[in-house]
Amino acid sequence: MYDLIANLWLGMGVAATPTNIMLCLVGALVGTLIGVLPGIGSLATIAMLLPITFGLPPVGALIMLAGIYYGAQYGGSTTSILVNIPGESSSVVTCLDGHEMAKQGRAGPALAIAAIGSFFAGCVATVLVAALGAPLTSVALMFGPAEYFSLMVLGLIFAVVLAKGSVIKALAIVLMGLLLSMIGSDLETGAERMTWGVPELSDGIGFVVVGMGVFGFGEILRNLENTGTREIVQSKITGLMPTLVDLKASAGAIGRGTLLGSALGILPGGGTIIASFAAYTLEKRFSKHPERFGHGAIEGVAAPESANNAASQTSFIPLLTLGIPPNPVMALMVGAMTIHGIVPGPQVMTKQPELFWGMIASMWIGNLMLIVINLPLVGLWVRLLRVPYRHLFPMIVVFCCIGIYSVNNAPFDVSMTALFGVVGYWMSKHDFEPAPMILGYVLGPLMEENLRRAMLIARGDATVFMTRPISAVLLVISAILLVLAVLPAIRGKRDEVFTE
Amino acid sequence: MSDVTPSGEWSRSADEQKRYNLISGLVFTGLGIILLAASFLLQNPVPLTVRAAIVIFVAVSIAVSIGLLPVLNQQDVFGSLGLILLALTAFIASNDLPGMRGFAFGPGTAPRLFAALLAALSLIVLVGGFVTAGPEVTKYQVRGVFYIIGSILAFAASIRPLGLVVATFTTIVICAAAADDVKWRETLIVAIGITIFCSLLFPYGLNLPFQLWPRFW
Repeated sequence: MYDLIANLWLGMGVAATPTNIMLCLVGALVGTLIGVLPGIGSLATIAMLLPITFGLPPVGALIMLAGIYYGAQYGGSTTSILVNIPGESSSVVTCLDGHEMAKQGRAGPALAIAAIGSFFAGCVATVLVAALGAPLTSVALMFGPAEYFSLMVLGLIFAVVLAKGSVIKALAIVLMGLLLSMIGSDLETGAERMTWGVPELSDGIGFVVVGMGVFGFGEILRNLENTGTREIVQSKITGLMPTLVDLKASAGAIGRGTLLGSALGILPGGGTIIASFAAYTLEKRFSKHPERFGHGAIEGVAAPESANNAASQTSFIPLLTLGIPPNPVMALMVGAMTIHGIVPGPQVMTKQPELFWGMIASMWIGNLMLIVINLPLVGLWVRLLRVPYRHLFPMIVVFCCIGIYSVNNAPFDVSMTALFGVVGYWMSKHDFEPAPMILGYVLGPLMEENLRRAMLIARGDATVFMTRPISAVLLVISAILLVLAVLPAIRGKRDEVFTE
Repeated sequence: MSDVTPSGEWSRSADEQKRYNLISGLVFTGLGIILLAASFLLQNPVPLTVRAAIVIFVAVSIAVSIGLLPVLNQQDVFGSLGLILLALTAFIASNDLPGMRGFAFGPGTAPRLFAALLAALSLIVLVGGFVTAGPEVTKYQVRGVFYIIGSILAFAASIRPLGLVVATFTTIVICAAAADDVKWRETLIVAIGITIFCSLLFPYGLNLPFQLWPRFW
């Protein structure tokens, strides 16, 4: 306990310097802006803004990027409530009750409760990251290649189970990601693999290229199909403060949402989207009046918004302690860290404590800033929403192009991103989820390396994954999850959650 | 990720679906034949099983295009055909890489392992698409794909020789044409504004090494 406070104090010292506070503010503001704007997710934004962080010190860069990520979770709710379009994929469910509330003239309390819930969740998650960091790091030090491999299998299986639609299709798409990640030089022998002799491919296809193509450009192509008009709630937002009744009604929802979100954020393959869906479903089950949901129940805003914010922060835990990115955004953070010469993993905490704790402390500061700046700025965000999409997407495209180009100063990367944009569009046309593919792409090289090492140490004996206890447990959990997901009874439930 | 709800505008009539099956099947047939031809150009002989798999792939594609096989679930059939093609391509591409040496993995082991698993899973999806009914593949936004991809490629082609100002401006103008409701006067204003913003932000504000103007100036 004493250690925890001492560590957080150290972090505060780092995060509370004027430059870092400024960077945190910039990150949180940009994140909110992106969250408010529909049609561009936090992944594309972080990729777009990577070049901006090149000139910054590593701590500052990571503080800013983290701010973008959780700031986007705040901003996404604003659009959901006011326009009935999710500004961020994780606030889809907030539309259901949030927009109903806005239609009833209670947009103010809806926005406020979303912000308060997010703030509470952010605080809890910050403490959780701090508290779980040290013990998980010591667990990570016991991990050998076999355990790492099994853990990544578990992560991918989670991503498959949590994706919507067919389990087999999600598994296939994970393998597509793994296969694509094999392009480039072999780590051990240096042999060029599947490059067709193209020299630009010998380093592999950058993660930014694949992620930006599939998520950024692919999403723009998809968005052009639904040219529906947006209905912004025109009535003036009055009475921002929720009443005491509102607060009482949502207190439990915020607590449960935070817990569920924190747990789902830590799991590899989980993340903000599933957290918000699960929290909403749970709240509906728990409620004495489930019929109120969908007609402006304040719990239906409080729970998912707390959950997605908690998840966005706890997803840093596997990255910082095990060095494994649990979702695509965290994978991009790995990229950002490597650019600054930091190898994510257990050694970050011991070798660079000021970086680790500074980042955690900045999350709390960022959450505080978000609640202070966000509510008064709602008017500004609403005005921004009036910018028509036909002007928005050319800007997004050109910023993405500049962002990708500046990573390596390579026009080839820009062209490859265009190709992956088409791949992403093709995938959505055939109902393949992009998230498992990206996770497979990110984990591919790590998985292969650990698989090879484990097999080499075990002298080619594949049973090593089942004879080492931790590895065996992880694999058994994966197998159970997969079986459960395929079983028809559970499948029905799972589809029900997604259609709700 | 906002979900696309296929509205009436994007769905195809039965005749159009048949035509889509024909064209897509022929595209996959063509790609399969190219892959088969490529397999004869490699230094190491391609295993017979891989070649046989490509031949079967071509046969299935032809059967799909002329309607011999019932395409009940367009999304699954064409989606899995695409993934199988990718797996087969990976087999050809990794053919010259050495595999297992004793109990040590060679560079080619993991790619072939993943490709085999991908092909097997896709095959299950493919068979499912012939047996159970499912959603169709909705129409492609051809105009959007053309202009957006065109604008990105234009950026890639122009950033080195022509500099940031020209590249940004052309990209925005080409890209804006992707929208059905494009308004050129507004677009020009936006393009000029963003170009000025970018050419101040990136080279000066962030000190990134961007060349602003064309080389030959």
